[in-house]
Amino acid sequence: MKDSKNLPKILVFSTDTISDPGIDLAGSTHMDYPATTYVISVPCSSGIDPRWIVYAIEEGFDGVFIAADGTDCPYLPDCTDRTGQIVAMAQKMAEEKGLDPRRLKMAAICSVCSESFVSHMERFAKTLQGLGTEK
Amino acid sequence: MNAQGNSWDCLVIGGGIGGMEAALTLGDMGFRVLLVEKEASIGGKMILLSKVFPTLDCSSCISTPKMAATASHPNITLWTYSEVKSVEKKGNGGGSSGFNVTIRRKPTYVDPSKCTGCGQCEKVCTVARPDQFNASLIARRAIYIPFSQAVPRKAVIEKSGTSPCSNFCPAGLPAHAIVSLMRNGKTEEAVKRFLDDSPFVGTLCLLCDGFCEMRCTRGKRDGSPVPIKSAMWHLTRRFEDFSVGSGAGARSGRKIAIIGGGLCGLTAAYILGQRGHSVTVFEKESKVGGRIRRKIEELKISAGIFEKSIEQIASLGVEFLLNKNISPDEIAEIRQSFDAVLLAPGSEKEPQEWLGKNANTSRYFQEEAKIFVAGHFVKPDATLAEVAGHGRAVARLIDEFLTTESLKTSTDIRSFKLVKGKKTSEGLRYFFDDFEAQKAMSRCLDCGVCCDCRECEKACPANAIDFNMKAQDVTVSVNAVLLATGFRLFDPSEKTLLGYSSYPNVITSMQMDRLLAPTRPYNAVLRPSDGKLPGNIGMVLCTGSRDITIGKASGSSQTIRGNRACSRICCMYSIKQAQLIMGALPIAEITIYYIDIRAFGKGYEEFFEQARGMGTHFVKGRVARIEEAKNNDLYVYYEDMEGKGGLKRAKHDLVVLAVGALPERVKMTVLGNPLETRLKQDSIGFIKETNENIEPGCTEIPGVFVVGTACGPKDIPDTVVHAGATAAQVAAYLKQMRAV
Repeated sequence: MKDSKNLPKILVFSTDTISDPGIDLAGSTHMDYPATTYVISVPCSSGIDPRWIVYAIEEGFDGVFIAADGTDCPYLPDCTDRTGQIVAMAQKMAEEKGLDPRRLKMAAICSVCSESFVSHMERFAKTLQGLGTEK
Repeated sequence: MNAQGNSWDCLVIGGGIGGMEAALTLGDMGFRVLLVEKEASIGGKMILLSKVFPTLDCSSCISTPKMAATASHPNITLWTYSEVKSVEKKGNGGGSSGFNVTIRRKPTYVDPSKCTGCGQCEKVCTVARPDQFNASLIARRAIYIPFSQAVPRKAVIEKSGTSPCSNFCPAGLPAHAIVSLMRNGKTEEAVKRFLDDSPFVGTLCLLCDGFCEMRCTRGKRDGSPVPIKSAMWHLTRRFEDFSVGSGAGARSGRKIAIIGGGLCGLTAAYILGQRGHSVTVFEKESKVGGRIRRKIEELKISAGIFEKSIEQIASLGVEFLLNKNISPDEIAEIRQSFDAVLLAPGSEKEPQEWLGKNANTSRYFQEEAKIFVAGHFVKPDATLAEVAGHGRAVARLIDEFLTTESLKTSTDIRSFKLVKGKKTSEGLRYFFDDFEAQKAMSRCLDCGVCCDCRECEKACPANAIDFNMKAQDVTVSVNAVLLATGFRLFDPSEKTLLGYSSYPNVITSMQMDRLLAPTRPYNAVLRPSDGKLPGNIGMVLCTGSRDITIGKASGSSQTIRGNRACSRICCMYSIKQAQLIMGALPIAEITIYYIDIRAFGKGYEEFFEQARGMGTHFVKGRVARIEEAKNNDLYVYYEDMEGKGGLKRAKHDLVVLAVGALPERVKMTVLGNPLETRLKQDSIGFIKETNENIEPGCTEIPGVFVVGTACGPKDIPDTVVHAGATAAQVAAYLKQMRAV
């Protein structure tokens, strides 16, 4: 927590039933990941609006991570493709606004993928540190 | 979606993998399904497992999507924390006419629409219980979210009535809550909790016979109850330097007159003051307190504590009119200028004189005079604590009367009797400090589970806690009933020679699975006695299956002696565990004691060979008994059948008992004309299918179906296949019904 000022601020979109329990598990098993991670849970990752992502980066988040359901999505069989399209759109929008598209990342996190979430966060934080702050 | 009110096409009882799969299949076909689950989350046993055999897929990763899909399916209505009470055939019972099913929706005491699953309540709860979702390896709280993958992820409070100590307190004090708060080192909170119900911290209990200790289950078990009275007296130390509250909150603007400033009147004034009413107490003497003040002065106990209580009452804006002797004639006048009047002038006054001939001294509310009565006035032989209880009870009634203009709660006066020939209290013990009190309070057994300390209510950011919730019996109409009640695991404490209940390092296979699961409690495979990584693990197969010695007949015709059957799953899950342990603890030696290895399914034999290839030792021979060696290590005595023969002994750090699958105790009788029909069971007690060879899932009662392990032990793939087959049977039945 000491150097949390230097850590990049990450916004995570998780899903209510699959990735959020996984992220929750990381906390409840006392795993360590950057304290500057903020998690917002949504019902399904395919419902995220690309404008939210760009807005978050514009408003001061260093990076946005989408913890998608992968093939586990209880609603849609093609959830991953849809979420992938959203990410692509958001990256395009970010580029148009002169933001680095590497500030957006997506990965499938299952309901017990706490370790994989933690390693994603650590790697993403490192990448973002390399990118420095936007403007 | 529930357009037809309380009616569904099919009721599925049980939300394990079988029930979920059947419900999903039926839902996808367009049938409307009601899924009832007794626990607070669906998922059954599968969500608790580490991996599934033989593919070693992560069990919770593949069952969470199923759980989420079940909960969000438009055709499935999910009722968790509910149990089926009765099933009744509609009409005259002939043909297919559907069922009326009564379902008890147990109170969760948490409003699910408000609860966000944040878990703040779990952090402050003062009651610990063994966590049923972690095979009792660790504790959970009385308020709990089942597990992080739970669907729905909402908190529930486990509460089985009121604990005897609290229930039998004549003053209506939450004894269990205070004990529980003190044992958690929350003495300050305990004082505050006491002050919720009475201002007389400590003093009141000192003058009581100790009904709480008399009823304490701990006392019944080992003769010495939790010293509750002493705990209450201990609170006075903290109460002495307690800052008196800074007046009441929002005012209601209602005025109440209380005749008599004794214990009853003061308690009522206090409770009503808390609720924002303006209270005036008429006292004939120059000081309020009446009999309790005299008693305390007799006992020569620090009068400061009592004065503090009076200050506490006054701080709520209660007005004392001293030296005011009210005569019966003045009552009508007082009645005019107040919204409610409480008569508690003590035993020296005659109720008839004040209320006329029709005075009913067994009720708090006098219908005719519209006046409340309580205390020694109506019950001259009552104890002091009882009178304080009157004050508390009547104040609640007055509050109800003023806010709702009517009285729904019974106004009968409850009486308390001492149990004859029973020692009431242990006498007072003086605790040196909070820590000593804490230690003494730790002996509490939490009879009622939730202690009513209301710490969760304070901590909940969403205001979701509602202690007024009641169980609801709902009758629904369904066309078919599908039982997916699953199985139960054998409790190895029945087989005393295996030492499950006496040796800490003998665990069950479910506990081992929890130790290996991704959501495991310690994040490592440890043995219970010392937390050491076990280096040498023994696994005893066929514990509770293929064994005719278990299940001692208890006289009931339903109890089936012995279990000759093979549980089908134990060989494979033990082989799975062996492989997983080798992954988690590469140095561990694993020995599996078996009678026969039954690896019958697709890929199972290869899975067994793989475990053998990895170095698991397989010993053919039944384990007779287990004994403890030094350092809680264990000796396993077994018959060596393949080697040189004879009785052999082996030493292990940890022994896992591969417990078998036994039938869940389901006794279902379908009520209705002309006869009641009892669901048939097979020779082991599982629900009987009419013909499992060619009619899977059908029972002898038309319209009642059974799925998965409720009709016999099955592994997960078989259960899922059976669920699909049964769903098809149900669908055919429902289609036929519609066609008629």
